[in-house]
Amino acid sequence: MNAPLPKRLWLWLAQTRVGRSVFRVGLPQSNLERSQAMVSSFLLHVQPAKVSRHALRASYTLGLGLISLYLFFILCGTGVLLMFYYVPSTAQAYDVMKDLQFVVSAGLVVRNMHRWAAHLMVLFVMLHMCRVFYTGAYKRPREFNWVIGVGLFLITLGLSFTGYLLPWDQLAFWAITVGTNIAGYAPIVGPKLKYLLLGGNVVGQDALTRFYALHVIVLPAIAGLMISVHLFRVRKDGGLSRPGEADDTSVESIPLAQLPTNKSYGLMELARGTTPQVGKNPDDEVFSWPHLVFRELLLFLLVIAVVLFLAIFWNAPLEEFANPIHPPNPAKAPWYFLGLQELVSYSAFWGGVVVPALLVTMLGVLPYIDRGRAGVGRWFARERTVANTIFTVCLIVAIVLTIIGTMFRGPNWGWVEPWGPPPAITEGH
Amino acid sequence: MNDFSLRKFYGWFTLLGLVVGVLVIVGYYRDENRPWKVYQRKFLQEEIRRAVTPDQRLLAQNTPLQIRQILLPELNRVDRCTTCHLAVEDPSYGNFAQPLAYHPLHDQHPFDKFGCTVCHRGQGRATTVADAHGNVPFWNEPMLPTKYLQASCGQCHEAADNPAAPELARGNQLFETVGCRGCHKLGGVGGNLGPELDRVGARRAPEWLKQHFLSPATVTPGSGMPPQKFAEPDLEAIVLYMLSQTGANLPGFYGSMKVLPSVSEGRRLFQLKGCIGCHTVAGQGGKIGPALDDVGLRRKPEWMMQHFRDPQSVSPGSVMPRFGFTEAEARALTEFLVHLRDQKVSLSIPALMEPTVRGREVFRKYGCAGCHGPEGKGGVPNPNAKTAQQVPALTYVADGYTKPELKKLIVNGQREIVALDPHHPAPPLYMPAWGNTIKDAEIDDLVAYLFTLKPKGEDAGF
Repeated sequence: MNAPLPKRLWLWLAQTRVGRSVFRVGLPQSNLERSQAMVSSFLLHVQPAKVSRHALRASYTLGLGLISLYLFFILCGTGVLLMFYYVPSTAQAYDVMKDLQFVVSAGLVVRNMHRWAAHLMVLFVMLHMCRVFYTGAYKRPREFNWVIGVGLFLITLGLSFTGYLLPWDQLAFWAITVGTNIAGYAPIVGPKLKYLLLGGNVVGQDALTRFYALHVIVLPAIAGLMISVHLFRVRKDGGLSRPGEADDTSVESIPLAQLPTNKSYGLMELARGTTPQVGKNPDDEVFSWPHLVFRELLLFLLVIAVVLFLAIFWNAPLEEFANPIHPPNPAKAPWYFLGLQELVSYSAFWGGVVVPALLVTMLGVLPYIDRGRAGVGRWFARERTVANTIFTVCLIVAIVLTIIGTMFRGPNWGWVEPWGPPPAITEGH
Repeated sequence: MNDFSLRKFYGWFTLLGLVVGVLVIVGYYRDENRPWKVYQRKFLQEEIRRAVTPDQRLLAQNTPLQIRQILLPELNRVDRCTTCHLAVEDPSYGNFAQPLAYHPLHDQHPFDKFGCTVCHRGQGRATTVADAHGNVPFWNEPMLPTKYLQASCGQCHEAADNPAAPELARGNQLFETVGCRGCHKLGGVGGNLGPELDRVGARRAPEWLKQHFLSPATVTPGSGMPPQKFAEPDLEAIVLYMLSQTGANLPGFYGSMKVLPSVSEGRRLFQLKGCIGCHTVAGQGGKIGPALDDVGLRRKPEWMMQHFRDPQSVSPGSVMPRFGFTEAEARALTEFLVHLRDQKVSLSIPALMEPTVRGREVFRKYGCAGCHGPEGKGGVPNPNAKTAQQVPALTYVADGYTKPELKKLIVNGQREIVALDPHHPAPPLYMPAWGNTIKDAEIDDLVAYLFTLKPKGEDAGF
């Protein structure tokens, strides 16, 4: 056989007694085996045996959802390693950061990976959301999966925000102080919510304990569950959205009431109309093995490479030990909240309450308001100009506010230009 | 797409696999080759070179490269300085350059009890040069320059009476005489025109402090503090004293040094226990017991200790009661009496002084001289004040005020200072209300003192 070495090695491994017991199918050689590889493997059965060519197009999904998932995996892995050292105590947490940097083998790289992957995950979840919007992929029958996605976006922010406090340095302390203050602006529930989060009126040991529990158990568990449901729904809702889908009547479920009741049904008959396997045109579909699986693996390598690269050459920030009586000027929230903080600087009520509440509500109910099905499966479809314009305007405003909050705000939240001279910091005499 | 060959993926897998592999190797290499290992190898090579017996050579050869650290749980510090500074306890490295130099004079402060950073500052947990020496952003405790090292003594020892830290004592004395407390609080005592100084040594760098004394407004825009005219040695001493004010409260054993037997503790006890009721010092006091001015010449310290424990055991027939001093108290009183002999200490017991002398002490204690000049002679600038742009001298207060008026002025202060030119910023210095700080009896003494300031021969008045 003239196959390359890795393939021959794999073939040999798969046909040994142990190999057969582990892989069942071996390296697929026929279409049947390709289907079996997907169906019979725990890791692969989440995905269909065949996928549409359209779903594989990198220019359609940009791999954004998958990248977010990989970053979540990296965060779980590095997070567990960090937990081996971390102590959620205001007296010790900061020292642990120093020990990670100076004495723990690979401690700094692992912490850097965790930090950069966390920022990237927030970014890529946002980008994924934009992709789904601009391709109209949140429309029927995927409305609820969009809602789950909005929930996952909030969980991601929560994970990042709770993790932000754990190093217990000035950056952590004051970012959380500012962030929870924004939460406190909400009427009636705001102060209670802030108190609940912090376990008190100010950031202290109780806040650290709560943030730690949320960060390492509660939120990851919820995120893991919701990600599973999210992926499950992608499949059950007919795979990735694609053009022409709206004309495909097989996407619709047949209402149970219309089915004759004098016969019994197999599961497949009751399943919602279209799954990729039963699509109209077999030529549009390819086997997941290897076309999907190998692309996924390549993307995973790429994500690992980028995160490793960042982690090796750029250190995660660590400022002075948290000092509750000496706020930095200005004290800034994490970057993804800086747009809100900028708004809060104009009006606490509008920036801290109305706008975020409105945004989340709008995102949540979006698929139930915008119900037309034209233009699904195409980027920036002409039929969706109105929706896309509104979304783009909101997006640009959010980006501009965030950039202003991040780069153009100096002491006392005054205007500074990042390229200008550093502002003179005057202290009270 | 119907080409099921994996061939087209090979290139990508190879490329990305190589990239990840290279990154892992780079990360591992950087992690494994930390700078401190270079110093440890140098040290071990030197040890091998010096080895005389095969055993010594073997020991040096078999010593692994490893982090070395001093754990100081009581101080909440971990000092890893000895990871690079490996020969601090080996005098044979006396003429080696850093980091392999020997550290002299450490017998009273053994490393396993004190570590390094509690005196030298820096970042004990760090293991790279810049980080460990604290010269990095976000680390507020850079290493103290050697010339200011005595500042650290003040964390555990009294600044005033530590013969091993003369610069610290000198800075302390300057602080108490030039009148810093007139505007600044330290340990809760002082005025409120300037910021409190309890943590100034932890917040400010030596260069900043120096510049601030010479020309306050250049480093703190808008500061009303008058520039100080210190000679260079005095400037260094006061900077050092400021650096000693870190606000750190060292725990247990370390902090206890401040109440251990010492001359100042003895003086405090001597006043507190009312010894002066029976004994005279400098001609003042009761006549029941003997004068104590030269007791240090007549008696050995051991005799005094025994006398404090049980007077009759060494002085049969003595009427002095057994006061039940603790050993530490007896030791402190003995220290005090021994130094009284040498006239190294002054016995300033307020009860024995004239009111005007006490008043002078009050004037010094609360730093009045800081604004009103030594002995109230004025000369301290207060820009845009109608009084010749200076804080008024106190030489002639006796002419302008009655004693009750003057007392009221000190108690209530004077917040508004009349400006020379109302269009310019208000004068920065003003008279704080001292009523809550200076005790009533002290103010009476102070007023009595101020009334004596008028130069002799000018009694005619206006």
